Amino acid sequence: MATQQPTQTDNSAQAQPPQTNPAKPTEISEPGIYVALTHDHLNYQSVIDRVRSPEAGAIVVFAGTTRNNFNSLPVQHLSYTSYAPLALRTMLTICRSILTKHGLKGIAMVHRLGVVPIGEESILIAVSSPHRQAAWRAGEEALEECKAKVEVWKREEFGGEGGGVWRANRDGAVGVKVDEPRIGKGEVDEKEDEGDSGNGGNDRKS
Amino acid sequence: MSAPKPPKGHFNILYFATASSHTGKDMEALPAPLPLRKLFDTLEERYQGIREAVLDHSLVTINLGYVDMPSSEDEDGEDNVTVIQEGDEVAIIPPVSSG
Repeated sequence: MATQQPTQTDNSAQAQPPQTNPAKPTEISEPGIYVALTHDHLNYQSVIDRVRSPEAGAIVVFAGTTRNNFNSLPVQHLSYTSYAPLALRTMLTICRSILTKHGLKGIAMVHRLGVVPIGEESILIAVSSPHRQAAWRAGEEALEECKAKVEVWKREEFGGEGGGVWRANRDGAVGVKVDEPRIGKGEVDEKEDEGDSGNGGNDRKS
Repeated sequence: MSAPKPPKGHFNILYFATASSHTGKDMEALPAPLPLRKLFDTLEERYQGIREAVLDHSLVTINLGYVDMPSSEDEDGEDNVTVIQEGDEVAIIPPVSSG
């Protein structure tokens, strides 16, 4: 018989990822943790309220907003796409780890999908802890982990003949231009930023 | 994304970001079973240049779990036993860019 995938059912003890509907917010929550993907505007108050605790003396909130340029190239707008069930699972794993590591009372991470107009929030992270130091550190670490691992992709549209690119957080590398479908090699290789890593690839191996 | 069930004898493969641009698709169904080590060759046959442009920089998941891609030179290796099965959901995961 064919071999079973070792990876299929390992994490069955975790919360089951919900079925995802692109038109609706998708979320997972468990005690002290809330993660979500949404096509709606992000709401500070609701994220803060997710982590509010009488045992916390500090809440730190990070807001990532969409910038109007990349290395001085004007960006007209950005859009985000995700592999929602996997992205939520990864967000949950990150939040569990950081909650424990920093002794947090709560952590919430919400990423927006679809077109995000310039200057608007694309991600909110809130953490609460008894004292501020842990909250500052945890907030930064949560964001860095998210940017390194969560299966969300940003596309920057430059407008005009500039087309658009899929951004890669790693090394700030530019992915393949997306202004036209392409079959075969063509100029793809020139557009790849090999970066220091030699492959510009993901930094995670499982 | 909620992929429809693949047809009998097939698995779904999802393409994100650069993989989607290169194939011009978000997903498709491919014949199963398929040894994992043959996945990139199969895709290269269908989308010339995708290996160098996309796959070499990407990770692969099967049913939401990351898998190590066996190297094609190592066909007899112990690690090369994974087979993509009918009904599986495979995804090409290019470098991510959340935030």
